[in-house]
Amino acid sequence: MAWPLGWAAWDGSDDISAFLLSIAAGLAVSAVLFLAGKNADYENLGVKDGFLVVSLAWIGASLIGALPFYFGGTVPTFADAFFESSSGFTTTGASVLSDIEAVPRGILFWRSLTHWLGGMGIIVLSLAILPFLRIGGMELFKAEVPGPIPEKITPRIQQTALYLWGVYAFLTAAETALLLLGGMNLFEALTHTFGTVATGGFSPLNRSVGQYGSAYFDWIITVFMFLSGVNFVLHYRMLRMDFRPLARDEEFRLYLWIVLGCTAVVTAVLLFGGRYGSITEAVRHSAFQVVSIITTTGFVTADFELWPLLTRVILLLLMFAGACAGSTGGGMKILRLLILGRHTRAELKRVLHPSAVVSIKVGGKAVNEGILSSVTSFLILYVAVFVGGVFFITSIGMDMESAISGVAATLGNVGPGLGSLGPTDNYGSVPEAGKWAFSFLMLTGRLELYTMILLFLPETWRK
Amino acid sequence: MNGFLVAKVLSFITGIVSVSMIWPILWAHLDGGGEVRSFVVSMVLGLTFSGLLFAAGRHHSDYKSVGIRDAFAVVSLSWVFASVIGALPYYIYGMTPTFTDAFFEAMSGFTTTGASILTDIEIHPKSLLFWRGMTHWIGGMGIIVLSLAILPFIGVGGVHLFKAEVPGFGLEKITPRLHQMATRLWGIYFGLTAAQTLLLLLGGVNLFEALTHSFSTIATGGLSPLNKSISHYNSPYVEWVTTFFMFFSGVNFVLHYRFLLRQPGAYRGDEEFRLYTAIVLFSILFTAAVLLSGGYYGSIEETVRYSAFQVVSVITSTGFFTADYELWPVSVHFLFILLMFAGGCTGSTAGGIKSLRVLALARHARAGLASCLHPQGLFQIKIRGKTASSNAVASVTAFFILYLVVFIAGTLFMAALGVDFVTAVSSAAASIGNTGPGFGTVGPTDNFFHIPAAGKWVLSFLMLLGRLELYTMILLFARGTWKK
Repeated sequence: MAWPLGWAAWDGSDDISAFLLSIAAGLAVSAVLFLAGKNADYENLGVKDGFLVVSLAWIGASLIGALPFYFGGTVPTFADAFFESSSGFTTTGASVLSDIEAVPRGILFWRSLTHWLGGMGIIVLSLAILPFLRIGGMELFKAEVPGPIPEKITPRIQQTALYLWGVYAFLTAAETALLLLGGMNLFEALTHTFGTVATGGFSPLNRSVGQYGSAYFDWIITVFMFLSGVNFVLHYRMLRMDFRPLARDEEFRLYLWIVLGCTAVVTAVLLFGGRYGSITEAVRHSAFQVVSIITTTGFVTADFELWPLLTRVILLLLMFAGACAGSTGGGMKILRLLILGRHTRAELKRVLHPSAVVSIKVGGKAVNEGILSSVTSFLILYVAVFVGGVFFITSIGMDMESAISGVAATLGNVGPGLGSLGPTDNYGSVPEAGKWAFSFLMLTGRLELYTMILLFLPETWRK
Repeated sequence: MNGFLVAKVLSFITGIVSVSMIWPILWAHLDGGGEVRSFVVSMVLGLTFSGLLFAAGRHHSDYKSVGIRDAFAVVSLSWVFASVIGALPYYIYGMTPTFTDAFFEAMSGFTTTGASILTDIEIHPKSLLFWRGMTHWIGGMGIIVLSLAILPFIGVGGVHLFKAEVPGFGLEKITPRLHQMATRLWGIYFGLTAAQTLLLLLGGVNLFEALTHSFSTIATGGLSPLNKSISHYNSPYVEWVTTFFMFFSGVNFVLHYRFLLRQPGAYRGDEEFRLYTAIVLFSILFTAAVLLSGGYYGSIEETVRYSAFQVVSVITSTGFFTADYELWPVSVHFLFILLMFAGGCTGSTAGGIKSLRVLALARHARAGLASCLHPQGLFQIKIRGKTASSNAVASVTAFFILYLVVFIAGTLFMAALGVDFVTAVSSAAASIGNTGPGFGTVGPTDNFFHIPAAGKWVLSFLMLLGRLELYTMILLFARGTWKK
């Protein structure tokens, strides 16, 4: 929190005390936890411990991260503060703030910083540090991504983390530079970049990126959002001038296809409905919104609530689809969709040829039964959590469209939804119980479901 | 692919449908209306078509050579042809302005969906409304045979791998046994219909309405000759009788058969039945609780009665209503949409994903969670006491994915036509789940007349897809089906 503190001091505003207080509280909690675990045996980290560390880390970060909002009086209740903070660390980008620009810049900087920190996964961050403390790392990395894991780039986790971190820093620097070149001031360039590479979506402006009305900014951010939704291992390869993995990667190809296809359809529908005057404008806004939603960023340059229903349904579906595995994006992930699609096709073949042995392949390698089972059960769980969420939200009084899109947007870590939670709205008027539910959904989605769900199963706590 | 044999089988089916028009003709004759002519013309056209099909296949009788592709063709085309023929009376008489509407109504009948394009039902002649009810009844009979005999043979959607053993029948050869099995199941079907008709007559309902409502109930269809559906009677007796029969029409008919073979524990011994019942009870409790806390109805009895009726009606994909549940809280709407997806039991006339698959999916997900904690452990589940093979589970998960995909495609299409969000989502869900009414502008007190024509065709297609458990229709269009 030193950075926002610095900014606050620079600005000379009254949020300084809020930060000092938060830092103090945070350090105090850290110290207590450290003392409690002082004599622990780091070599013995099991799978269960891995899951626990991940989920509790995010919850802990969200709790501490909520303090500046709460102490600074930015938001009325702790529920709001926790919502905003977890929205930050889970890189969702849903906000309870109704007038963002009235908030001191220190707080806003902190808001965006929570995105940046959350983006790479606090665990991966820690992988670069924790090895000094001799903690077994592989289990933790598995815990962060319980689903299909892209190939490891280096044998040692520490190096992996450093390289991923390097890519992340590179993207951050590149986008910031380009935005500055376009005339954006430093504060806005940094905060928007944090929101982009983490695919978060918090903007210090009330009207998000749309406020600039600038084609240059829109396209820069579109491109970087798109890149942030790509598997970072591929970026690592590209930075070493190796473009073959990118061209061969089936998940990337499907991701690209979906983006292009949806942009084309949305553009067509918008032009047909006469929403925009020129083709370039329509393409620009379609591309931005499509990429923003599929990467689960959540920046907006248009009030898509005013768009024809078909485009909104497409955007809603993209919230479920999500970005590539190994990126900062949320949702179910394109890789899973790829596997599920091939699985279904294989089953259709099997109906015609019951005795045939049909296996599915991704990237040239066969997908074994265990992985397939993981992916199908993930789908079922995702749907179940979604259904449970909508049930809860409709029970506290929200309408169908807001409930469905709000749950989809938080579970998928997108940010804005439809209905009363649309791009020009905010989550401020949601009943308090709803805010806690949405926060829970954001965490559950970000941590790929299992990590959070397992917290609640008695089995996890048994020896 | 034995096209001639397919044609021959289809000729029988279309023949049966055409000849069935005898009943509405009799009714029209008794009523003394001008509809007789429309029915006669329809019957003649239907029989001519049937004759042509028979002529094409008359030299072929090698039924043993019937393969999977033939089965697909027969099943899909039966429903399509039946709907075309069934639409003729509506169109020729003029009950519907366009053939699109007539086809929609007929398809809604034969797939036992129950969505209607009629804006005022009661102005139409009884014979036409009787035919409407009959399309449900005939469709329901087809479904029973389809789901218990044909689909397991085809091996669709995984259900066949968890099949309930039919006492006295192995499932090796379908042709000789099919005839026997069908007869006994139809016997149960007929019996249930007769029982309900009798009970309704005892409750003071006239013969016409008792028959048409029973046809509609046992087939879990939902088309009613009354504008206000069952709410018209304002009678707790009628409502509870209907609820009871709707519930049992959503139960696997094999269980009925076992029960009648003096096995009192037939129902509670079946896992699927237990899950189905649990879902129904939970939903009724939830709905009643929400309604009570919102002060919707004066008494507890009324609240429970309306909750029970609506819940059972939606989960069995019938679609009758006794209350305008669109006025109920949104959480109940969402629950109902979920029930449309969940559906009734396999081997019944209900639509949806079916409780057995829901059970399998839930257990699979739970196994997934367990394997997170024990990565070395096996990822297996048990259904009906037996370990489910990975093939079986793969079948069910693929079906689930397909169901979602078809639902999404349907929603996208309806959204493209310009209807609102809730209408798009609920009409797609209600069509593929064969429920009937949805929400928004196609709620229980509305109708589908105002839907654009393209939408009516798409929804008809969805009804067909859902009724035939997806694969049958999808594979009909797949290139791979037709390769040698």
